[in-house]
Amino acid sequence: MANAKEIQNRINSIQDTMKITRAMYMMSSMKLRKAKKKLEDTLPFFEGTQRAIAETMAHFPDMQHIFFDNRAKDQSETKKRKGYVIMTGDKGMAGAYNHNAIKEAMSLVGNPKDEDYTLFVVGEVGRAFFINQGYHVDENFRYSANNPSMHRARVITEYLVELYKREEIDEIYIVYTKMLNSIAEETNVERLLPFKPHSSMQAEFEKKLAGVEKSEDDAHHITTLNSYEAEAMESGDDWVPFYPSPKRVLERLVYNFVTGFTYGALVECTASEENARMMAMQSATDNAEAILRELSIEYNRVRQAAITQEITEVIGGAKALKKKKEKKKQQAR
Amino acid sequence: MASAYNLKIIACNGVFFDGDCESLIFPGTDGQIEIMNHHETMTGVIEIGEIKYKTPDQEWHRAVISDGLLTVYKDGSVKLIVYSCEKPENIDTFRAQEALERAQEQLRQKQSIQEYHISTANMARAMARLKGAGKSPNL
Repeated sequence: MANAKEIQNRINSIQDTMKITRAMYMMSSMKLRKAKKKLEDTLPFFEGTQRAIAETMAHFPDMQHIFFDNRAKDQSETKKRKGYVIMTGDKGMAGAYNHNAIKEAMSLVGNPKDEDYTLFVVGEVGRAFFINQGYHVDENFRYSANNPSMHRARVITEYLVELYKREEIDEIYIVYTKMLNSIAEETNVERLLPFKPHSSMQAEFEKKLAGVEKSEDDAHHITTLNSYEAEAMESGDDWVPFYPSPKRVLERLVYNFVTGFTYGALVECTASEENARMMAMQSATDNAEAILRELSIEYNRVRQAAITQEITEVIGGAKALKKKKEKKKQQAR
Repeated sequence: MASAYNLKIIACNGVFFDGDCESLIFPGTDGQIEIMNHHETMTGVIEIGEIKYKTPDQEWHRAVISDGLLTVYKDGSVKLIVYSCEKPENIDTFRAQEALERAQEQLRQKQSIQEYHISTANMARAMARLKGAGKSPNL
């Protein structure tokens, strides 16, 4: 059993740590309130953008265009270069939040030595990890995950779409964390570009109607239709006029959609991150309290044992002394 | 007396307007376009500028928007999804003027094509805001 001094030291250090976790808990709960407000405001826009794009694509005439990646030269490409936008936090201490996003990205990429992908990482934690592990990370793509703004979403979009237009990447996917409720979070994968041409949406929709088993679940939409697209297809897929022209609409749609999605995802991510951090800090504080309780019991026990021992010693000593005296007395007689 | 349809304007910071409307005028790529009830289903793009809509009480409302997407549905309802939408009286002209000057300064420097796109869009937004607020852009 450790001695009382050691236990006292440990208690003090845990109390100090608890002060930090408690402070972090308060900070993130405050930030979460702000992030949640923003998320609430943004949600109609985020959902509206996804719905609008799905509806538009359901009514879009079949054409060959770079944004559908179905031109003759696109189809002759055997290897598609993929771009993954991965949203992580700027700081750790957020429970499994960062790890889930990183894990998802790793399973998407597969072998880090492959040449056919580039990672665009938002947030310091993810960037540090992927660079360390030797993944192909775009080093010019440096954006923080904190305080999302429309401006940042626009800059990111401009960067990505420019690469896409130069055909340096053929497909763009985004990995982000969605807050389901205050306890559960989910890592989602969506395809930003290319858009799904009408014919492929129709084929997938028919597959879905026929009840072909889905290979992907609700959070991952790489080849399957997401709920918005399925809904849009259900409400009819006749072609409607586009103003001023389908091509112009498409051109603008790309920027609108990618910016809207990036912004929505950034907002979702900050809310999820703060939520994850708040929960992690809450459980850290709880754990610290539990340890403190056990330690204080142990400390009391050790102290009691020490006192008992001292008393025993004193009594023993006194007894020995008494015996000695009695012996002396007997001898004196 | 025109009949009314449902108009919904969604901006990135919330639903700006959701209600009945008789007529909507928005800036298209080649001029202003008005949408009244029973318009054919269509999808179009909106430019940065000012929209006007008339509610059933015959009042015209103005709003300054940044670019976005407009959809007319089969039932005649219209949905606008724009990045930002502000009432003229809520515009911070001081901020808009600052944004304009910042964009101008950036445009004077040598920029990549990406930066150029962003700066010109920023400038257009700032100018639309100032114009909407009834203040001529101080170039």
